[in-house]
Amino acid sequence: MTINHHPDDATIMAQAAGVLGEGFSLVVAAHMERCPRCLERLAEAEALGGELLAELPAAEMAGAGLGDVWQRIHEAPAAEPPKLRRPSSSDGLPAVLTPYLDGGLASVRWRSLVPGIRQHVLHGIDSGRGSVRLLGIAPGITIPHHTHGGGEMTLILKGSYVDEIGRFQAGDLADLDPSVHHQPVADTGEDCICLIATDERLRFSGMFSRMLQPLIGI
Amino acid sequence: MMQAVTTTTDIPDAAPKPSSEEAVRWLQAISAERSRDAFERLYGQFAPKLKSYMIRQGADPATADDLAQETMVQVWRKAEQYDPAKAAPAAWIYRVARNLQIDRLRRRKLHEVELTAEADRPDEGPGGHERADERPDADRLRELVDTLPDDQLDVVRLAFFEGLSHSEIGQRLCIPLGTVKSRMRLAFGKLRAAMGEQL
Repeated sequence: MTINHHPDDATIMAQAAGVLGEGFSLVVAAHMERCPRCLERLAEAEALGGELLAELPAAEMAGAGLGDVWQRIHEAPAAEPPKLRRPSSSDGLPAVLTPYLDGGLASVRWRSLVPGIRQHVLHGIDSGRGSVRLLGIAPGITIPHHTHGGGEMTLILKGSYVDEIGRFQAGDLADLDPSVHHQPVADTGEDCICLIATDERLRFSGMFSRMLQPLIGI
Repeated sequence: MMQAVTTTTDIPDAAPKPSSEEAVRWLQAISAERSRDAFERLYGQFAPKLKSYMIRQGADPATADDLAQETMVQVWRKAEQYDPAKAAPAAWIYRVARNLQIDRLRRRKLHEVELTAEADRPDEGPGGHERADERPDADRLRELVDTLPDDQLDVVRLAFFEGLSHSEIGQRLCIPLGTVKSRMRLAFGKLRAAMGEQL
Protein backbone atom coordinates (compact mmCIF):
# COMPACT_ATOMS: atom_id res chain seq x y z
CA MET A 1 0.00 0.00 0.00
CA THR A 2 1.48 3.33 -1.01
CA ILE A 3 0.31 6.14 1.19
CA ASN A 4 0.39 9.61 -0.32
CA HIS A 5 -1.49 11.77 2.17
CA HIS A 6 -0.42 12.11 5.79
CA PRO A 7 -1.36 14.09 8.89
CA ASP A 8 0.05 17.60 9.12
CA ASP A 9 3.31 17.80 11.10
CA ALA A 10 1.46 20.07 13.54
CA THR A 11 -1.02 17.22 14.09
CA ILE A 12 1.82 14.77 14.77
CA MET A 13 3.24 17.22 17.32
CA ALA A 14 -0.20 17.47 18.94
CA GLN A 15 -0.46 13.67 19.15
CA ALA A 16 3.00 13.51 20.77
CA ALA A 17 2.04 16.25 23.23
CA GLY A 18 -1.18 14.39 24.06
CA VAL A 19 -3.43 17.29 23.13
CA LEU A 20 -5.32 15.77 20.19
CA GLY A 21 -8.93 14.97 21.00
CA GLU A 22 -10.01 11.34 21.34
CA GLY A 23 -11.57 11.17 17.90
CA PHE A 24 -8.62 12.70 16.07
CA SER A 25 -6.11 10.59 17.98
CA LEU A 26 -8.07 7.47 16.97
CA VAL A 27 -7.95 8.37 13.27
CA VAL A 28 -4.25 9.30 13.46
CA ALA A 29 -3.38 6.03 15.25
CA ALA A 30 -5.37 4.03 12.67
CA HIS A 31 -3.35 5.72 9.92
CA MET A 32 -0.03 5.17 11.68
CA GLU A 33 -0.56 1.43 11.97
CA ARG A 34 0.08 1.27 8.24
CA CYS A 35 2.41 4.22 7.88
CA PRO A 36 6.07 3.79 8.94
CA ARG A 37 6.77 7.37 7.86
CA CYS A 38 4.36 8.81 10.38
CA LEU A 39 5.34 6.37 13.17
CA GLU A 40 8.89 7.54 12.74
CA ARG A 41 7.85 11.18 12.88
CA LEU A 42 5.80 10.53 16.00
CA ALA A 43 8.87 8.95 17.63
CA GLU A 44 10.83 12.09 16.77
CA ALA A 45 8.18 14.36 18.24
CA GLU A 46 8.09 12.20 21.39
CA ALA A 47 11.88 12.43 21.57
CA LEU A 48 11.39 16.19 21.72
CA GLY A 49 8.89 15.64 24.55
CA GLY A 50 11.52 13.59 26.36
CA GLU A 51 14.14 16.27 25.91
CA LEU A 52 11.78 18.97 27.17
CA LEU A 53 11.01 16.77 30.19
CA ALA A 54 14.73 16.30 30.87
CA GLU A 55 15.28 20.06 30.79
CA LEU A 56 12.49 20.90 33.24
CA PRO A 57 13.62 22.30 36.56
CA ALA A 58 13.39 19.69 39.30
CA ALA A 59 10.51 19.92 41.76
CA GLU A 60 11.42 18.40 45.10
CA MET A 61 9.54 15.19 45.81
CA ALA A 62 7.67 14.95 49.11
CA GLY A 63 9.70 13.30 51.88
CA ALA A 64 8.75 9.65 51.56
CA GLY A 65 8.68 9.66 47.75
CA LEU A 66 11.06 6.83 47.04
CA GLY A 67 9.85 4.76 49.99
CA ASP A 68 6.27 5.16 48.75
CA VAL A 69 7.30 4.00 45.30
CA TRP A 70 8.94 0.84 46.69
CA GLN A 71 5.83 0.18 48.73
CA ARG A 72 3.61 0.50 45.67
CA ILE A 73 5.92 -1.79 43.73
CA HIS A 74 5.87 -4.40 46.48
CA GLU A 75 2.11 -4.31 46.77
CA ALA A 76 1.88 -5.48 43.16
CA PRO A 77 5.37 -6.62 42.28
CA ALA A 78 4.72 -8.46 39.05
CA ALA A 79 6.28 -7.02 35.96
CA GLU A 80 3.61 -5.98 33.53
CA PRO A 81 3.40 -8.41 30.64
CA PRO A 82 4.01 -6.69 27.34
CA LYS A 83 0.78 -5.76 25.67
CA LEU A 84 0.30 -7.78 22.55
CA ARG A 85 -0.77 -5.74 19.65
CA ARG A 86 -4.33 -6.49 18.77
CA PRO A 87 -4.49 -8.25 15.46
CA SER A 88 -6.16 -6.25 12.75
CA SER A 89 -9.27 -7.89 11.48
CA SER A 90 -9.14 -9.91 8.31
CA ASP A 91 -10.93 -7.29 6.25
CA GLY A 92 -8.21 -4.74 6.82
CA LEU A 93 -9.75 -2.81 9.70
CA PRO A 94 -6.96 -1.14 11.73
CA ALA A 95 -6.44 -2.79 15.12
CA VAL A 96 -7.14 0.41 17.10
CA LEU A 97 -10.68 0.35 15.71
CA THR A 98 -11.54 -3.18 16.80
CA PRO A 99 -12.79 -2.11 20.26
CA TYR A 100 -15.38 0.01 18.49
CA LEU A 101 -16.15 -2.33 15.59
CA ASP A 102 -15.53 -5.79 16.96
CA GLY A 103 -17.13 -7.66 14.09
CA GLY A 104 -14.98 -5.89 11.51
CA LEU A 105 -16.25 -3.92 8.57
CA ALA A 106 -18.43 -6.81 7.39
CA SER A 107 -20.80 -6.62 10.35
CA VAL A 108 -21.19 -2.85 10.62
CA ARG A 109 -24.84 -1.89 11.08
CA TRP A 110 -25.05 0.81 8.44
CA ARG A 111 -27.78 3.41 8.33
CA SER A 112 -28.64 4.79 4.93
CA LEU A 113 -28.68 8.60 4.88
CA VAL A 114 -29.56 9.31 1.28
CA PRO A 115 -29.27 6.96 -1.68
CA GLY A 116 -25.59 6.10 -2.10
CA ILE A 117 -24.44 7.39 1.30
CA ARG A 118 -24.52 5.31 4.48
CA GLN A 119 -23.02 5.88 7.86
CA HIS A 120 -22.30 4.28 11.20
CA VAL A 121 -21.50 6.39 14.27
CA LEU A 122 -18.84 5.06 16.64
CA HIS A 123 -19.87 5.42 20.27
CA GLY A 124 -17.81 5.82 23.39
CA ILE A 125 -15.41 8.42 21.97
CA ASP A 126 -15.47 11.90 23.46
CA SER A 127 -15.50 14.28 20.49
CA GLY A 128 -17.10 17.41 21.91
CA ARG A 129 -19.57 18.76 19.38
CA GLY A 130 -18.11 16.56 16.68
CA SER A 131 -18.21 12.83 16.14
CA VAL A 132 -16.39 9.81 14.79
CA ARG A 133 -18.21 7.88 12.10
CA LEU A 134 -17.77 5.53 9.22
CA LEU A 135 -19.11 6.82 5.96
CA GLY A 136 -19.76 4.59 2.96
CA ILE A 137 -19.99 6.39 -0.36
CA ALA A 138 -21.21 4.50 -3.43
CA PRO A 139 -19.30 4.86 -6.72
CA GLY A 140 -19.92 8.19 -8.41
CA ILE A 141 -21.70 9.69 -5.40
CA THR A 142 -20.65 13.14 -4.24
CA ILE A 143 -20.67 14.42 -0.66
CA PRO A 144 -22.12 17.94 -0.92
CA HIS A 145 -19.79 20.92 -0.71
CA HIS A 146 -19.01 21.69 2.90
CA THR A 147 -16.63 23.46 5.22
CA HIS A 148 -15.95 22.65 8.83
CA GLY A 149 -16.57 24.62 11.98
CA GLY A 150 -13.50 22.90 13.37
CA GLY A 151 -11.13 20.37 11.87
CA GLU A 152 -11.95 17.19 9.99
CA MET A 153 -9.75 14.15 9.71
CA THR A 154 -10.60 11.42 7.23
CA LEU A 155 -8.88 8.07 6.82
CA ILE A 156 -9.71 6.01 3.76
CA LEU A 157 -10.28 2.37 4.73
CA LYS A 158 -11.43 1.04 1.33
CA GLY A 159 -11.92 2.41 -2.15
CA SER A 160 -10.98 5.97 -2.98
CA TYR A 161 -12.29 9.47 -3.55
CA VAL A 162 -11.24 12.58 -5.38
CA ASP A 163 -11.75 16.14 -4.23
CA GLU A 164 -10.24 19.59 -4.78
CA ILE A 165 -7.08 18.50 -2.91
CA GLY A 166 -6.33 15.26 -4.68
CA ARG A 167 -7.01 11.55 -4.85
CA PHE A 168 -7.28 9.66 -1.56
CA GLN A 169 -6.87 5.88 -1.46
CA ALA A 170 -6.83 3.26 1.30
CA GLY A 171 -4.41 4.33 4.04
CA ASP A 172 -4.42 8.01 3.05
CA LEU A 173 -5.38 10.55 5.67
CA ALA A 174 -6.90 13.92 4.84
CA ASP A 175 -6.12 16.40 7.63
CA LEU A 176 -8.34 19.39 6.93
CA ASP A 177 -8.38 22.87 8.42
CA PRO A 178 -11.60 24.72 9.15
CA SER A 179 -10.86 26.84 6.07
CA VAL A 180 -10.96 23.95 3.61
CA HIS A 181 -14.01 23.78 1.37
CA HIS A 182 -14.33 20.47 -0.42
CA GLN A 183 -16.63 18.11 -2.27
CA PRO A 184 -15.41 14.50 -2.32
CA VAL A 185 -16.55 12.07 -5.05
CA ALA A 186 -16.11 8.29 -4.80
CA ASP A 187 -14.24 7.63 -8.01
CA THR A 188 -13.87 3.87 -8.49
CA GLY A 189 -16.15 0.92 -8.98
CA GLU A 190 -16.24 0.03 -5.28
CA ASP A 191 -17.73 1.84 -2.31
CA CYS A 192 -15.41 4.27 -0.59
CA ILE A 193 -15.39 3.55 3.14
CA CYS A 194 -13.90 6.32 5.30
CA LEU A 195 -13.37 6.91 8.99
CA ILE A 196 -14.14 10.54 9.71
CA ALA A 197 -13.56 12.49 12.92
CA THR A 198 -14.74 16.06 13.45
CA ASP A 199 -14.66 18.31 16.47
CA GLU A 200 -17.48 20.57 15.30
CA ARG A 201 -20.49 20.06 13.09
CA LEU A 202 -19.92 20.27 9.35
CA ARG A 203 -21.34 23.24 7.47
CA PHE A 204 -22.92 22.52 4.16
CA SER A 205 -22.88 25.44 1.83
CA GLY A 206 -25.47 24.90 -0.90
CA MET A 207 -29.22 25.40 -0.40
CA PHE A 208 -30.02 21.79 -1.26
CA SER A 209 -27.22 20.55 1.02
CA ARG A 210 -28.45 22.70 3.88
CA MET A 211 -31.82 21.05 3.52
CA LEU A 212 -30.06 17.69 3.73
CA GLN A 213 -28.14 18.62 6.85
CA PRO A 214 -30.82 17.70 9.39
CA LEU A 215 -31.23 14.40 7.57
CA ILE A 216 -27.55 13.58 7.45
CA GLY A 217 -26.86 14.96 10.88
CA ILE A 218 -23.14 15.48 10.41
CA MET B 1 18.71 26.69 27.84
CA MET B 2 15.02 26.76 28.50
CA GLN B 3 13.94 29.53 30.78
CA ALA B 4 13.16 27.84 34.06
CA VAL B 5 9.89 28.95 35.56
CA THR B 6 10.93 29.28 39.17
CA THR B 7 8.52 28.10 41.79
CA THR B 8 9.06 27.50 45.47
CA THR B 9 9.34 23.78 44.88
CA ASP B 10 12.06 24.09 42.27
CA ILE B 11 15.49 23.05 43.39
CA PRO B 12 18.61 23.63 41.34
CA ASP B 13 20.13 20.84 39.33
CA ALA B 14 23.16 20.00 41.43
CA ALA B 15 24.59 17.12 39.44
CA PRO B 16 25.32 17.31 35.73
CA LYS B 17 22.79 15.55 33.57
CA PRO B 18 23.72 11.93 33.07
CA SER B 19 24.12 10.97 29.49
CA SER B 20 21.38 9.20 27.68
CA GLU B 21 23.64 6.13 27.56
CA GLU B 22 23.84 6.03 31.34
CA ALA B 23 20.04 6.04 31.65
CA VAL B 24 19.87 3.31 28.98
CA ARG B 25 22.10 1.14 31.19
CA TRP B 26 19.92 1.82 34.22
CA LEU B 27 16.78 0.79 32.36
CA GLN B 28 18.49 -2.34 31.08
CA ALA B 29 19.67 -3.22 34.59
CA ILE B 30 16.11 -2.81 35.87
CA SER B 31 14.81 -4.99 33.08
CA ALA B 32 17.47 -7.71 33.28
CA GLU B 33 18.32 -7.83 36.99
CA ARG B 34 15.51 -5.91 38.69
CA SER B 35 18.32 -3.69 39.95
CA ARG B 36 17.12 -1.52 42.84
CA ASP B 37 20.22 0.59 42.65
CA ALA B 38 19.67 1.42 38.98
CA PHE B 39 16.03 2.22 39.69
CA GLU B 40 16.92 4.58 42.52
CA ARG B 41 19.37 6.42 40.27
CA LEU B 42 16.72 6.71 37.58
CA TYR B 43 14.23 7.90 40.19
CA GLY B 44 16.67 10.53 41.41
CA GLN B 45 17.10 11.75 37.88
CA PHE B 46 13.52 11.69 36.67
CA ALA B 47 11.03 11.83 39.56
CA PRO B 48 11.60 15.56 40.30
CA LYS B 49 11.24 16.34 36.57
CA LEU B 50 8.08 14.25 36.39
CA LYS B 51 6.62 16.14 39.35
CA SER B 52 7.46 19.39 37.61
CA TYR B 53 5.77 18.10 34.43
CA MET B 54 2.61 17.11 36.31
CA ILE B 55 2.42 20.54 38.02
CA ARG B 56 2.63 22.23 34.63
CA GLN B 57 -0.17 19.98 33.40
CA GLY B 58 -2.35 21.40 36.17
CA ALA B 59 -1.88 18.94 39.03
CA ASP B 60 -1.68 20.28 42.58
CA PRO B 61 1.59 19.40 44.37
CA ALA B 62 0.19 16.35 46.19
CA THR B 63 -1.33 14.95 42.99
CA ALA B 64 1.89 15.73 41.13
CA ASP B 65 3.86 13.72 43.72
CA ASP B 66 1.39 10.86 43.33
CA LEU B 67 1.57 10.90 39.51
CA ALA B 68 5.37 11.19 39.46
CA GLN B 69 5.54 8.18 41.78
CA GLU B 70 3.03 6.25 39.70
CA THR B 71 5.03 7.01 36.54
CA MET B 72 8.13 5.54 38.20
CA VAL B 73 6.15 2.46 39.34
CA GLN B 74 5.12 1.93 35.72
CA VAL B 75 8.73 2.43 34.59
CA TRP B 76 9.73 -0.40 36.96
CA ARG B 77 6.95 -2.64 35.71
CA LYS B 78 7.35 -1.91 32.01
CA ALA B 79 11.15 -1.74 31.87
CA GLU B 80 11.26 -4.97 29.88
CA GLN B 81 9.35 -3.23 27.11
CA TYR B 82 11.97 -0.52 26.76
CA ASP B 83 13.91 -0.87 23.51
CA PRO B 84 16.97 1.39 23.29
CA ALA B 85 16.94 1.07 19.50
CA LYS B 86 13.58 2.86 19.32
CA ALA B 87 13.67 5.63 21.91
CA ALA B 88 15.93 7.53 24.27
CA PRO B 89 15.14 6.87 27.95
CA ALA B 90 13.72 10.37 28.42
CA ALA B 91 11.40 9.91 25.43
CA TRP B 92 10.16 6.55 26.71
CA ILE B 93 9.59 7.87 30.24
CA TYR B 94 7.88 10.92 28.74
CA ARG B 95 5.40 8.63 26.97
CA VAL B 96 4.59 6.81 30.20
CA ALA B 97 4.05 10.13 32.01
CA ARG B 98 2.00 11.64 29.20
CA ASN B 99 -0.31 8.66 28.96
CA LEU B 100 -0.77 8.65 32.73
CA GLN B 101 -1.65 12.34 32.91
CA ILE B 102 -4.08 12.09 30.00
CA ASP B 103 -5.81 9.24 31.80
CA ARG B 104 -5.77 10.74 35.31
CA LEU B 105 -5.83 14.51 34.81
CA ARG B 106 -7.74 14.88 31.55
CA ARG B 107 -9.75 11.67 31.87
CA ARG B 108 -9.46 11.12 28.15
CA LYS B 109 -8.45 8.19 26.06
CA LEU B 110 -5.33 8.55 23.99
CA HIS B 111 -5.42 6.22 21.05
CA GLU B 112 -1.97 5.17 20.05
CA VAL B 113 -0.20 2.46 18.14
CA GLU B 114 1.48 0.10 20.58
CA LEU B 115 5.22 0.46 20.20
CA THR B 116 6.34 -2.44 22.34
CA ALA B 117 9.49 -4.31 21.45
CA GLU B 118 7.29 -7.20 20.38
CA ALA B 119 5.07 -5.16 18.11
CA ASP B 120 5.76 -6.08 14.57
CA ARG B 121 6.23 -3.15 12.33
CA PRO B 122 4.27 -3.07 9.12
CA ASP B 123 6.14 -4.11 6.04
CA GLU B 124 7.87 -1.16 4.57
CA GLY B 125 6.65 -0.82 1.06
CA PRO B 126 8.13 1.35 -1.66
CA GLY B 127 8.81 4.80 -0.29
CA GLY B 128 8.97 3.51 3.28
CA HIS B 129 11.81 4.69 5.44
CA GLU B 130 14.42 2.31 6.71
CA ARG B 131 15.49 4.49 9.58
CA ALA B 132 12.50 3.71 11.79
CA ASP B 133 14.61 1.68 14.22
CA GLU B 134 17.16 4.40 14.76
CA ARG B 135 16.70 6.26 17.98
CA PRO B 136 16.66 10.03 17.60
CA ASP B 137 19.92 11.51 18.84
CA ALA B 138 19.28 13.07 22.25
CA ASP B 139 22.39 15.22 22.30
CA ARG B 140 21.55 16.91 19.04
CA LEU B 141 18.02 17.41 20.31
CA ARG B 142 19.33 19.26 23.34
CA GLU B 143 21.26 21.62 21.07
CA LEU B 144 18.16 22.11 18.97
CA VAL B 145 15.93 23.08 21.88
CA ASP B 146 18.52 25.68 22.85
CA THR B 147 18.39 27.29 19.43
CA LEU B 148 14.65 27.35 18.74
CA PRO B 149 13.27 30.89 18.47
CA ASP B 150 11.10 31.89 21.42
CA ASP B 151 7.89 32.09 19.40
CA GLN B 152 8.31 28.46 18.27
CA LEU B 153 9.42 27.20 21.67
CA ASP B 154 6.43 28.91 23.28
CA VAL B 155 3.84 27.05 21.19
CA VAL B 156 5.70 23.77 21.67
CA ARG B 157 5.83 24.19 25.44
CA LEU B 158 2.20 25.25 25.71
CA ALA B 159 1.25 21.99 23.97
CA PHE B 160 3.71 19.62 25.65
CA PHE B 161 3.59 21.11 29.15
CA GLU B 162 0.30 22.91 29.59
CA GLY B 163 -1.72 20.47 27.53
CA LEU B 164 -3.26 23.14 25.32
CA SER B 165 -4.69 22.21 21.93
CA HIS B 166 -3.64 24.24 18.91
CA SER B 167 -6.80 26.36 19.04
CA GLU B 168 -6.37 26.96 22.79
CA ILE B 169 -2.79 28.09 22.16
CA GLY B 170 -4.09 30.50 19.51
CA GLN B 171 -6.53 31.96 22.03
CA ARG B 172 -3.88 32.18 24.76
CA LEU B 173 -1.38 33.98 22.54
CA CYS B 174 -3.97 35.91 20.51
CA ILE B 175 -2.65 34.52 17.24
CA PRO B 176 -4.57 32.71 14.46
CA LEU B 177 -4.76 28.91 14.44
CA GLY B 178 -2.79 28.85 11.19
CA THR B 179 0.10 30.68 12.87
CA VAL B 180 0.14 28.18 15.75
CA LYS B 181 0.32 25.33 13.27
CA SER B 182 3.01 26.93 11.14
CA ARG B 183 5.19 27.56 14.23
CA MET B 184 4.71 23.92 15.24
CA ARG B 185 5.70 22.79 11.75
CA LEU B 186 8.78 25.03 11.73
CA ALA B 187 9.92 23.78 15.13
CA PHE B 188 9.36 20.17 14.05
CA GLY B 189 11.18 20.75 10.76
CA LYS B 190 14.22 22.07 12.62
CA LEU B 191 14.06 19.16 15.01
CA ARG B 192 14.06 16.70 12.16
CA ALA B 193 16.86 18.53 10.36
CA ALA B 194 18.94 18.58 13.55
CA MET B 195 18.51 14.84 13.85
CA GLY B 196 19.76 14.37 10.35
CA GLU B 197 16.52 13.56 8.62
CA GLN B 198 15.73 14.77 5.18
CA LEU B 199 13.10 17.45 5.28
